[in-house]
Amino acid sequence: MNTDFWLIRREFWENRAIWLIPAVFGGLLTVAALFGRVDIPTLSPGDHSQEASGIFLVAIGGMFYLVMSLYAGWYLLDCLYTDRKDRSILFWKSLPISDAKTVLSKLLVGMVLIPLVYFVAADVTALITAFILSIRARASIGSALWQPGVWGQIQILWMYVIVTTAVWYLPVAGWLLLVSAWAKRAVILWSILPPLVLYLIERVFFGTRVIGHVLSGRLVGLPAVAYKGWTNGGNVNFDGHAPANVWHFIDAGGFFSNVQTWIGVVVGILLIVAAIQLRMRRSEI
Amino acid sequence: MAPLIEARDLTKKYGAHVALDRANLKVEAGRIVGLIGPNGAGKTSALRAILGLTNYEGHLTVLGREPFRDRTELMNECCFIADVAVLPSWLRVDQAIDFVAAVHPRFRRDRATAFLAKTQITGKRRMRELSKGMKTQVHLALTMAIDAKLLVLDEPTLGLDILARRSFYDALVNDYMDETRTILITTHQVEEVENLLTDIVFIDKGRIVLDTSLEDVATRFIAVAVTADRLEAARAEKPFYERHILGKVVLYFENVDSAKLSAFGELHTPSVADLFVAKLSGDAA
Repeated sequence: MNTDFWLIRREFWENRAIWLIPAVFGGLLTVAALFGRVDIPTLSPGDHSQEASGIFLVAIGGMFYLVMSLYAGWYLLDCLYTDRKDRSILFWKSLPISDAKTVLSKLLVGMVLIPLVYFVAADVTALITAFILSIRARASIGSALWQPGVWGQIQILWMYVIVTTAVWYLPVAGWLLLVSAWAKRAVILWSILPPLVLYLIERVFFGTRVIGHVLSGRLVGLPAVAYKGWTNGGNVNFDGHAPANVWHFIDAGGFFSNVQTWIGVVVGILLIVAAIQLRMRRSEI
Repeated sequence: MAPLIEARDLTKKYGAHVALDRANLKVEAGRIVGLIGPNGAGKTSALRAILGLTNYEGHLTVLGREPFRDRTELMNECCFIADVAVLPSWLRVDQAIDFVAAVHPRFRRDRATAFLAKTQITGKRRMRELSKGMKTQVHLALTMAIDAKLLVLDEPTLGLDILARRSFYDALVNDYMDETRTILITTHQVEEVENLLTDIVFIDKGRIVLDTSLEDVATRFIAVAVTADRLEAARAEKPFYERHILGKVVLYFENVDSAKLSAFGELHTPSVADLFVAKLSGDAA
């Protein structure tokens, strides 16, 4: 337990970008809120304020989610490779820490802790910018953007997003870790090339698109599996008339009973086990 | 007592290349063993196997454990420095101490800080800011503060200037070594370690060609500087190597009575470096 804590601490020492990027991004959004053009239509109390608040919070969260996905992907792809590149793997391996623990600590950071950091940053940014915009748009905070009920629901939604993202993208994370433990150089290229080549081979020689379908389904298929009403309509629908209710939107039962979810988990575990095996055997670039 | 390191038929292949070819080795506790061999002889492969950094064929136990399977447990009692450049550049000195103190049960923080107090290095410095010699001192401070039974050094002074090399070995002998410890060291600078070794192991083409204590070297090996007129008579005693320098011929004998040899010229015990050259070139011829 103690070792686990310090392994995670080490990741935050090494990768200061984990919190620097969301801090800077949040700062930029705050500056934009302070000095940007304000185009919020004046809202009368009780009008569409809940809807406006929901859209605002989801928009902020969505932007952070996008940045987080890119950074977390890069982190997972780079973390094991960098130890071999700077040869510090020989130092880490001189300590009584198993390779499984090391790899799993990086997985935990990439799939849970980095999203949590972004979640906190998104929350803080949303609060600050909502406050600023409310004042600048001359709408009272209480009626327009500051809706405690909606804000509370967004917290639930965020937690759900973090959990489903971590589960759904486990095979992607496993693949990135595997490449990171294996590649001698050009980790980005190696992470993209093999799936692409498989896809092209299938297209050219068999004329089918099974692999492409599986890959794209994994990469962009999460909303359809995890949220209600995504497939028919495709709109994030916070109902403006009824009180916006995130529980109408979250489909946890559907997500966790979907066979795709569990196929992904199994593939993810296999890839992570392979990454650990490579970490045990490869210490050179 | 069982030997600290015991290898029987230790074999390591990289594809078609055989790095270790049924090597046999025994290291007893309390010794300082020099593992000496030309480039590509299998030194690093042997150390990698002993430290559990790679899998192998054959029998190998270190401190009663199988290194590859039990690396984590082995590192509780064994530590290594695999050249100086492996501490990660982002790591701060105080972070390094905190981390090792947290994960290593045998680490004594007071010893590490006492060692560093004698240097110019302060806790807030990052590895990338330190000179190579300073990095060595940090690494040495971390390693020597661990109560390890076995210390393995792989080319520990590579890239260091002569002052840093000298202080490295002085610290090793004066501050670290005692009868409870065992050190296994590889280096190209044979002359530098010669007078601190108790045992030498020569490795060539993946095989152990000599494994002896330095006391035995004196009785087992004799070098004779022979003048030209006695050369033929001396050659009849079957030297395993001849060296021609400045009109003299030095013949190297193994297990030949010194009384017999003294008739041919001046006797002396070959230095480790000379013996190394003689043994490797002689056996190859």
